[in-house]
Amino acid sequence: MVYNLGISRLDELIGGIKGGTNIMMIGPPMSGKDDITNSIAYHGLIDGNATVIVSTREPGKNVLDWFESRNLNILMEHIGIVDCVTRTLGFGAPETENIKMASSPVDLTGIGVKISQFFEHFWMEIQLRETRLCINSLSTILMYSNLQTVFRFLHVFTGRIKAANALGVYVIEDGMHDEKTIVTLKQLFDGMIEIREGEDGYQMRVVGLTPKPTQWFDYEIDGVNIILRG
Amino acid sequence: MIETGIPKLDGYLHGGIPEGNSLVYYAYPGVDGGVFGMQTISHAVSGGRCGAYIASSTDPRMIRDQFMEFGWDMGESVFADRFTVVDAFSGLIGADSQERYVVPEPDNINSLTQCIKQVIEEMPEPGIIVFESLSTVMDLCGEKETLDAVLEWNKYAMLYDHVMVYNFTAWPYSEETLLQVKGDACNSVVSVGGISEKVIFGWYFGLLKLDWAEMIRKWVLFKILKPGGVRIYIPKILVTGPFDAGKSTVVHALSNRAVSVDRLGTTIALDHGHIDHNGFAADVFGTPGQERFDPIVKLLSGEAMGVFLVLDSANATGFARGVRMLEITESFGLPVVVIANKQDLPEALAPEEIKTRLDIPESVPIVPAVASAREGVFEAFEMLVEMVMGVN
Ligand SMILES: Nc1nc2c(ncn2[C@@H]2O[C@H](COP(=O)(O)OP(=O)(O)O)[C@@H](O)[C@H]2O)c(=O)[nH]1
Ligand SMILES: [Mg+2]
Repeated sequence: MVYNLGISRLDELIGGIKGGTNIMMIGPPMSGKDDITNSIAYHGLIDGNATVIVSTREPGKNVLDWFESRNLNILMEHIGIVDCVTRTLGFGAPETENIKMASSPVDLTGIGVKISQFFEHFWMEIQLRETRLCINSLSTILMYSNLQTVFRFLHVFTGRIKAANALGVYVIEDGMHDEKTIVTLKQLFDGMIEIREGEDGYQMRVVGLTPKPTQWFDYEIDGVNIILRG
Repeated sequence: MIETGIPKLDGYLHGGIPEGNSLVYYAYPGVDGGVFGMQTISHAVSGGRCGAYIASSTDPRMIRDQFMEFGWDMGESVFADRFTVVDAFSGLIGADSQERYVVPEPDNINSLTQCIKQVIEEMPEPGIIVFESLSTVMDLCGEKETLDAVLEWNKYAMLYDHVMVYNFTAWPYSEETLLQVKGDACNSVVSVGGISEKVIFGWYFGLLKLDWAEMIRKWVLFKILKPGGVRIYIPKILVTGPFDAGKSTVVHALSNRAVSVDRLGTTIALDHGHIDHNGFAADVFGTPGQERFDPIVKLLSGEAMGVFLVLDSANATGFARGVRMLEITESFGLPVVVIANKQDLPEALAPEEIKTRLDIPESVPIVPAVASAREGVFEAFEMLVEMVMGVN
C-alpha cells in the first residue's frame, strides 16, 4: 500500500509513501496550502483512495465546490468532509452524503466521531482500502484548544492512521505558533512538507520521507496540479 | 428514578438513575457517546422532568437543531419551562448569548461551578443536568480542577435530588484522571466503546460501575439511527424456511427498508431488510428455500445471531424441509423462533399442532403469524431479541 502526493518530482524522490504515514504541512499564509491540500486529496481520489477532509476555516460546502466546480473525473462518493465551521455561524445546515457537521473547532470529540464514521463508511460499505485524511488546519484547532489537548487528539488520530494504513496530512500555519508547539507536534509526524517564501515566489521541500531533505523547489499551482520548477 | 431512555440500559441500572445520583458515559475517542447524554435528557424532559444541558463545544443556537436531527423536539413550547441550555460556549469565542444561564469564562472552573450551582438551586423540582462534554471542560479547565469540581457538583446536586450525567471522551489523559472518571467520580459508569481493527466498525456499551444496586455485566452492540438515537443492534438475523412459506413477506413486514433480489417472483439470492422496533435495530437476511441453493444458504448464514424459521401453517409437507434448512444454516444452538405463517388460511394448523410435527427442541417457541398482514411478526421479533440478548 503506497501513496503518492501527486506532485510528480517529489513523488519520484520519495518513491512512494507507505501506508500509515502522518505528514505535517507547514507554510506561511497565502502560500496556497488549501490548494495543495486539496490537490493531494484530489490525487488520492484519482488513485482510487477515499479522502476525508477536516475543514476548520471554510464551510464544507466551499471545499466540496472546489472539487465539483472543476469538473474532475472523480467519484464524489469517495469524498468525506468534516465541516467545523458552518454550525459556529449559527446555520442549522443538515448533513449530506459528503458533509458531516462538527459543532465547532472546539468539538474535538465530534470531529473525531465524524472522521471515524467516514472511515467506517469507506472501509466497510464502499470497501476502499486506502484512505487519506487531511486536516486543514491544525492552527485553527489550536486557537480554541491548548497544545496538550490538541496533542492528545492527534495522538489518537495519527494512531488510527497507522492502524488503517492510511495517509494523514495535517496543515499548520507557519508563524502562528511558538517553537514549543511546533516541536511538540512534530513528534507525532513521520515527515513534513515545508513551504517557505523564496526570492521568486514560494518554495517547498519534503523532510523525513527521504534519507535527506529534498532540495527546495519553486512551485506553481495550476488548477488541481502542483507544478515544481527547478 | 430518572430513566435514561437508552434501550436495555435502564434494565441494567435497575430502572434508571435514582435521584441524587450521577452517571458518566465514558466513550472511546471516535465513538459517538454524546448521543447517550442527549437521549437521556430528551427522554427525561419529554417524560415530564426538568433538564439542563451544559453546552461546552456547541453554539447554543445549534443545540435544539442537534436534538432535532434525532427527532427529539426540545424546542416544543411545552418544554420551554422544563428544558434549559446552559451556555458554556459563547464565552470561548467571544460571542453574545441569548441563554438564561451563561458561563462568562468557560475555561475557568470557578466560573463554571458558580453557574452550575445556580442551575442546581434554581431548578424547580428534582431533575437532570447533562454535560455535553466533560472532556471539553477538562481540556479547558484542567484535569484535576475538573475532577474536583465534578465531586463538588455531584454532592451539591445530591442535596437537591438532581441527577447528574456526563458525556466524557476518554482521550489519552493521565492514567490517574481516567481511573478517577471510571472510578470515584460518579455513582455509575457506562462504557461506550468501539470494536476496531483497521477502522472502528462496531459499537457497544455496558456498565463499568454501579454503586446503588447489583451490577449487571452485560455488553450489547448498538447503532445510532437518525432519527431515533441509540438502538440495540443485532447485526444478523436469518429468515429461513421452505419455498413459498412467506420468508420474503416476513422480511418486508418487519422492515423499514427492504430490498429483494427476486427472479420470477421467487427469491434466488437474498432478501435484506433493516428493522427498527422497540429500541432494537437488526439486519435481517432471507435465504432462498429451494434445495439447489443450499450452498448459498450456508454462505449466508455465517455469523447470524438468531434465526426465524418460517413455515406455511397450511402446508405440512414443507415442515421437514424447514427443519432441514435449520440444519443447513447450522443454526442449532442459535436462538430460533418458528413463525407459523399464513394463519389466515382455513386449513392452517394451530401452533401447538405444528409443534408436535416438528423435530426440534421443546424450548423453541412457535409464534402464529399472518405475515402478509404484518400480524405476529413483531411478537416473533421481540421474542427472538429477548433470546439473543439472553445468550450474550
Ligand atoms: N394467505 C397468506 N399468504 C401469505 C402470507 N404470507 C405470505 N403469503 C403469500 O405466500 C406466497 C409466498 O410468499 P413469499 O414471501 O414470496 O415466500 P418465500 O418463498 O418464503 O420467500 C406469496 O404469494 C405471499 O403473498 C400469509 O400470512 N397469509
Ligand atoms: Mg422469497
